[in-house]
Amino acid sequence: MSERVLTADVGIVGAGPAGMAAANVCALAGLSVVVLDEGHRAGGQIFRQLPPGASGTAIAEPPSHHHGHELLTTFSHSQVALRSGATVWDAKPGRLWFEQDGASWLLRCERIVLAPGAYDRCIPFPGWTLPGVLTAGALQVMVRGFGVVPGKRALVAGSGPLLLPTVTALLSAGVEVVGAVEASSRWRALRALPGVLGNGARLREAFWYARQLLRAGVKLQWGWTIVRCEGDGRVQRATIARVDGEGRPRPGSERTLEVDVVGAGFGLVPSIELGLHLGCTSRWNAARGGHCLVVDREQRTSVAGVWAAGEACGIGGAEVAAAEGKVAGHAVVASARGGHVPLLALAKAARERRSSDAMLGAFAPLPGLHELARPDTIVCRCEDVTLAVAQQAAALHGPSARAIKVGCRAGMGPCQARICGPSLQALASRDGARAMDVPVVQVPLKAVRASTILEAPAG
Amino acid sequence: MSNDARVPGTGDRPVVEFTFAGRTVSAFAGDTIAMALWAAGERALRASSAAGAPRGVLCNMGICYECLVVVEGKTVRACTTIVEPGMNVQRGGKP
Repeated sequence: MSERVLTADVGIVGAGPAGMAAANVCALAGLSVVVLDEGHRAGGQIFRQLPPGASGTAIAEPPSHHHGHELLTTFSHSQVALRSGATVWDAKPGRLWFEQDGASWLLRCERIVLAPGAYDRCIPFPGWTLPGVLTAGALQVMVRGFGVVPGKRALVAGSGPLLLPTVTALLSAGVEVVGAVEASSRWRALRALPGVLGNGARLREAFWYARQLLRAGVKLQWGWTIVRCEGDGRVQRATIARVDGEGRPRPGSERTLEVDVVGAGFGLVPSIELGLHLGCTSRWNAARGGHCLVVDREQRTSVAGVWAAGEACGIGGAEVAAAEGKVAGHAVVASARGGHVPLLALAKAARERRSSDAMLGAFAPLPGLHELARPDTIVCRCEDVTLAVAQQAAALHGPSARAIKVGCRAGMGPCQARICGPSLQALASRDGARAMDVPVVQVPLKAVRASTILEAPAG
Repeated sequence: MSNDARVPGTGDRPVVEFTFAGRTVSAFAGDTIAMALWAAGERALRASSAAGAPRGVLCNMGICYECLVVVEGKTVRACTTIVEPGMNVQRGGKP
């Protein structure tokens, strides 16, 4: 068997806005760059491209996506070596091990930029395991990444800025959106407005979404949540209810909708597993989605030779990611060739972070949403663990993530607690406001074939 | 393949046929197994580990491992695996 080993000046994980921006800067400076990405085409989840050959002109895009197209164009014309369909499963400073097409690879690179993005935050509710109930992000991927129509009648529910693009993606696929419910209150959103007012691009974006919804006659209902889904083998009905300021459903306010697809998204969780495994310091930041990698203003993590940009440093959106990716790229070039990160790039990244932090203030976590699950609701989908069993484990062994896991197997399945982890401790300890433990990471960082691990090239 | 399962303009790609649980399914080149099956009306892709309850696509981006199916004896994520002509796909079981 031939050794599958690559060598590059820079290894970048993730081909979303942060990874592409970093790669573009490094490639322009003449560094050799390899980008490892789990998707099949560059763009990440936010600038998801249709498969080759498909045009998809009917799919509406917000104004910010023009910037994404620019990034993609520069990226695809650069000297960057993109490895699509690559799953990174082990790493140490200077080394990234990945699986691609079932084969085991090693990338040797003195400098690593982490741009792994984020994934949807799930909060369990009765019926959320029914086929046809997906994350909000999943529906966007379906429409914008594959041109597949999710269904005939959809409910979009949850909290956070991701709900609007989900609604517009559904509308452009011809789906009737029978409900669009945001658990946060309109008043909280209005309070966040001043911080966003200074950012023209964000305002244009907000108006674009408002116009799309108005045109389709869809009204975003603030202060409502999904409470349960029902159906025979697949989702057929979804019930929504008004919530109080803590996110608890108000008795008597329930309404049931006939649906064939539900997109539920309660914000995003930073993907920090690879950073943690490399030894990078993290910090809890509830507004930014939970545990985030700590970086300095030049996107350096606490580990020498490792930079991070975008959602892994805290949820901020594509503009933040692209701006921080650019800074990380310049910082990497400076470390290799000398020089400085341009002040303009630093200022832009700081400005985008400020306005995204202000916007996220509109969607602060609502502890009451963690009371939607009933005792028989599955909380860990991989291991089929119910809320009652998880609560028993927490009562018996303690409320730490590790104790709950040992007590009832919750979080031990192949998703490695990426789905249940962000809410498990809050659910099991009946304290919706508690901070979660730093996730326990182990090799393989993502489930890969045994042969990938056995045949891994030596570092 | 019913046309109302596709956004206009996104299906101008070669057609690929494969089987799922014995049923022949038409897809477009570049589709993942998960999206081809969704367009074909299939929602349940595996049975859950303990209760055997139907599960389908949840995250659609390779995170959750809910859409596990079996292709030629190997368990794969339906949402990250591109369909190939003649592929034999079976429902997944315990992850």
